[in-house]
Amino acid sequence: MSRSLLLGFVSYALLLMGIATVRGEFIALALPFVLYLLAGFLFSPDEVKLEATRHLSIERASPNADVVVTVTVTNLGSHLEEVLLDDALPADLTIRPSTSSGQRFGHSRHLIRLPKGDSYTFAYTVAGPRGGYGFESVRVKVNDHLRMTGREVQIEAKGQLFVFPPVTRLRHVAISPRRTRVYAGTIPARVGGTGTEFFGVREYQQGDSPRVINWRISAHHAQADVLYSNEFQQERVADVGIILDGRMRTNEFARGHSLFEYSVQASAALTDALLTQGNRVGLLVYAAFLRWTLPGYGKVQREKILHSLAHARPGGSQVFSDFQHLPTRLFPPESQIILVSPLHEDDLTPLVQLRAQGYQALVVSPNPVKFELSYLPKNKNVELASRVIQMERALTLQKVRRASIQVLDWDVAEPFDLLVKRMLSRPPAWLRAVGR
Amino acid sequence: MIMTIIAMILSIILGTAALAYGYSQAGLTDPARRFVLLGIVWLLAHWRKQYWVSSVAFFLTLLGAGYGVWNGFTTIWMLLGALGGLLGWDLSDFARRLSYAAPTDDVQGMERRHLERVGIVAMLGFGLAILSLYIRINRLAFEVAVGLVLLAALGLTRLVMRLRKY
Repeated sequence: MSRSLLLGFVSYALLLMGIATVRGEFIALALPFVLYLLAGFLFSPDEVKLEATRHLSIERASPNADVVVTVTVTNLGSHLEEVLLDDALPADLTIRPSTSSGQRFGHSRHLIRLPKGDSYTFAYTVAGPRGGYGFESVRVKVNDHLRMTGREVQIEAKGQLFVFPPVTRLRHVAISPRRTRVYAGTIPARVGGTGTEFFGVREYQQGDSPRVINWRISAHHAQADVLYSNEFQQERVADVGIILDGRMRTNEFARGHSLFEYSVQASAALTDALLTQGNRVGLLVYAAFLRWTLPGYGKVQREKILHSLAHARPGGSQVFSDFQHLPTRLFPPESQIILVSPLHEDDLTPLVQLRAQGYQALVVSPNPVKFELSYLPKNKNVELASRVIQMERALTLQKVRRASIQVLDWDVAEPFDLLVKRMLSRPPAWLRAVGR
Repeated sequence: MIMTIIAMILSIILGTAALAYGYSQAGLTDPARRFVLLGIVWLLAHWRKQYWVSSVAFFLTLLGAGYGVWNGFTTIWMLLGALGGLLGWDLSDFARRLSYAAPTDDVQGMERRHLERVGIVAMLGFGLAILSLYIRINRLAFEVAVGLVLLAALGLTRLVMRLRKY
């Protein structure tokens, strides 16, 4: 029951009692309530007209980085005696105690008095895990000083914050898809032409630089009066499709531990490296539903993929519980596919099919056994179980490798860039020259 | 928020103690004890953040005051009881609202203004009530009195409607 209704009921009841019993005492008893009611209505605000603006210190942040949200509320209506401003935070964002000595810091809820034409600014610091967060509105409760009339309004004050996964810089990611695109890049195209890697020898053609003439072979065939030129392997850009496995069954473990964040970090690092090399990269998040980012080049594409990774969440679904429904047609034929997944033994067949369709596949697999071992108690049972599961996993990975699929078994305790440097980096030129 | 809490405690004590005294004067000691108990429960409930108890307690003090007036107990105590109940109810709600404020908000200023206004309203209400008890017009027919009350109600309603426009 509202306060004004309760007081109105009490006042009228006492007045009627007074009339009915012809007793002035009841009227006297009613007078303070009538006066209270009147004072409440008299000072209630006529018009609630508020405007709010929001400013975020940064709109793209790294996980758990401090972001200062500043909200300014301006009163364009009548004088407001009691205003409760409550800026609802998106889920997962938390308010950090601010170290600033400035006033009005560190709280998203304020109780204030807002005279006509005045503004009130408050700020607070938030931080949160990877994700996309939308600030929509500020909830405002306006009361007169006796709370006879109360109004609740939502003032629009939009803002967006993207917390991107941390992007590890990788120096070089060596991939070798069967088909490359026409533009020059860094991926060996298996076609002779200009480049740095030796590809073969062919008959001298007009226009060839004397520097590329292979004098040794030409000398061997001196009688034929023919010169031979060295040919180099062309280096071009390629189409790369990154598949991020977000299935609950492969990523989630007991006690709320998850490998998914590592998979996201690996995807972000690979995206950054491959786009920097000039390739056309697309991303497919395979979780409760499919989230597809069309392939593209450059910084804009990097931004798009990071947005997609920011929103990526692990999920379970009957349809996408295995890779049988992987939409391979999304990827250009014979392109490079990088699957980032802890892998399950059921994934072997779809992977082999992928390879059979002509895709060059690379699997980056965060090791779930070592990950689980890192937080489980050390005892004989755990050790025995881990050995059995590790053997099962080794067997699965071996089968995958036999299908000519490169596998990077990643112990997440090791930084991802070190693993890539060891497994995917291009050997230096002098080492390549000696055939190692 | 200390000012409000102190004022609220004093109001609740004033309301329930006045009713208890009024009832005990009339020889009803058991109900008087129950009013004291009501005051204690009200304070404890506020401490335990059971704010709904405040409305119930306010209603009970009003019922007590009304019953006392009906039975001809000393009106001044009943009036003080009802006024204490009203103030306790108002301040309990205000204290709850203040709990939403951030530590950096001007809570003291809001408290001061609220206490001033509620104090003025309570004093005026009490003064008017006392005046109405002592000023008596003996040669007034009941029909006229009813007519005047209705006229007053109508006038008040229109006044409120007019004031709300500005």
